[in-house]
Amino acid sequence: MNDDKNVGGMADKSDTYRKDVQYAKLAQWLEQVLQTPEQDEVPSSRLEDGETQLELVLKSDYHLSFYQQIPDFIMALLKNDPLATVHYSALLFHLVGCHACHDAYIDLYGAMRAAVSPQEIRPSLGQGTRSLSAIPHRMLGHLCRSLISQAEAVLLLSHRDHEDRDAVARSLLQLALHVSAPISQSSIRRQALQDLVRVATLFDNINVAEDGDPNVRKYTPVMASVSGTRRGKTVRRVTATPLSNNQEIAVIQLQSQSLEGSIVQNGQMLELHLHDLASSLRGHFVTISVLLGSLLEPVRWLGGNPGSIRSATPVNEQGTLVMPVGTTDLELSNPEERNLLEAMFMLLEVRALDDA
Amino acid sequence: MPFTAHDLRYHAEQSYPSLYGYLHRNAQRYLGSLKYDAFEVDTVIGHVVEQLVRLGLLGGEDHTPLIALDHLTDAQFYTFLSHSVRNKAIDRLRKRRLLVNSSAEVAGGQDDDEGENNPLNDAVESLWGSMPFSTPEEIALQVASQRDLRNVLKHCIMALRAAPNQLQAVIQELQDVGADDLLKVIWEELNIPSPVKPNIHMSQHKDHAHKKLRSCLQQRSSNLTVVVALRLTLYTQYSKERNDYAVDIQTLAQSDLSIADVRKSLRELANEGMLEWRDTEDVCLSAVQMKRLSRFYKEE
Repeated sequence: MNDDKNVGGMADKSDTYRKDVQYAKLAQWLEQVLQTPEQDEVPSSRLEDGETQLELVLKSDYHLSFYQQIPDFIMALLKNDPLATVHYSALLFHLVGCHACHDAYIDLYGAMRAAVSPQEIRPSLGQGTRSLSAIPHRMLGHLCRSLISQAEAVLLLSHRDHEDRDAVARSLLQLALHVSAPISQSSIRRQALQDLVRVATLFDNINVAEDGDPNVRKYTPVMASVSGTRRGKTVRRVTATPLSNNQEIAVIQLQSQSLEGSIVQNGQMLELHLHDLASSLRGHFVTISVLLGSLLEPVRWLGGNPGSIRSATPVNEQGTLVMPVGTTDLELSNPEERNLLEAMFMLLEVRALDDA
Repeated sequence: MPFTAHDLRYHAEQSYPSLYGYLHRNAQRYLGSLKYDAFEVDTVIGHVVEQLVRLGLLGGEDHTPLIALDHLTDAQFYTFLSHSVRNKAIDRLRKRRLLVNSSAEVAGGQDDDEGENNPLNDAVESLWGSMPFSTPEEIALQVASQRDLRNVLKHCIMALRAAPNQLQAVIQELQDVGADDLLKVIWEELNIPSPVKPNIHMSQHKDHAHKKLRSCLQQRSSNLTVVVALRLTLYTQYSKERNDYAVDIQTLAQSDLSIADVRKSLRELANEGMLEWRDTEDVCLSAVQMKRLSRFYKEE
């Protein structure tokens, strides 16, 4: 037996062991450093297993920039790229402390490994040329909320990094609006679009008046089902012309606490009807802000700016105002197009013109 | 009707029905006894759809960068979707079985889901097989034991120099965990010969230091700076005439970094006092600077 060699070998082993112990302790410390306080939160869907509403898995404050790197990192690993860990070191550090992103990594790794595995047989595609309206509306609502939540995540990241990602968020919200249009059940549509206004106001160029501002009256739609019914009664157009009792007229009903209003269509022209406006507004011109009016392009707004449409006439002595707001090729009588327009009027503000 | 990842990215509204149909069939296939439970089916589909939205693929158009999933073949993409559904279905089955088992235990009944058709039977083995970085602990160990990643850690620790109390707090922690090799390099760089004295008022500094370290470690720029620093130690050439080491920026960029990234990293290293560089096309290092860079990033 060569003692020198043995002594040398033992020394090597001892050194390796010492380093391993050091690395293990350093790793434990790193885990502690990289744990972020919010990681203790569990997504709501995990808490409510017995729920009937589909919850989003991630909140909009999830780590978008890291999440979207995960598939590329996995592919680098699957291709045995020796530099994968170096190129994606920031992501690796993040995965140590972020359970949500690590869960996504595990989920995606399994599916991507199966995808690139050569033994896989092409799955059967089956038949089906279904339209959006044929999909359960609950699922359309879920997609809608996913898209709106994603838009919020993009805008939050945008604000944090001081980078302009408005086009991405706008595109996601537009898609959400289109997806919501076929949803005929008002409760599901309301739920699908519940965060739309809040997220849209994250755009720098959309400003919402403070709640309780005495100079601003805010209207929101009373979401009706496509049959035109709400609260159990059929909604009929407010007009001086007598209509047949059987003729249901497409209209978007608006409300602001006890006040009511509506959007009706005359040919291509969309008209805003408001009633019982405050006495301080009577005899005055007003401006209308359709906060989400710039999200979609099917309406040609009078004056070109949906954020500031000036009334052509003052509010009359009875507190009524009828004013055109823009023209469109969409038709309120078409349920899906009506829903699209209704979503656009999700928040409408009325304020007196200073120079009136 | 067939659809592709490209369709989902650029024609989301039109291709969503086909995606839904495909996911629905797979969800029913993998949900076994739960396949007629509409909520469970929708939960599985919703999970995959949300994932595609979050990844920037569904409806991402040209606004989000292409990812590895965009480059899969159609067959591979369908397999990816199918397995995503399968994974979530198994997850749901496990959760429901836990609930059922708990109820059955209370009632003293038998588990009826032990039949041959139970999809969970396929998942008795580890669902993921051998997977790298399957736990946060494994990742942390990889980071701690791989030189390139440890270099990023060193870089970020040294960035705490501007806040001496926070740096001291971290050094004290490293002493406590016995990270002697790492500390040796840091002490040499800081030019302090011995361990710092324990300070009992370090808790607040420690919290602030951890926050800064988290931020630094998760920034791509930190990694880039370390990569460029290491390349400086590898690719510079010694000139006897000038008695210095030089390299041009293109050489530092190689094929995987952009010139802009290299410039940004060189500026960062210059700010740290590792080198002197004034936005030129070449980088020159004195022998002392080279020794310092090598000691910090190359050797340990």
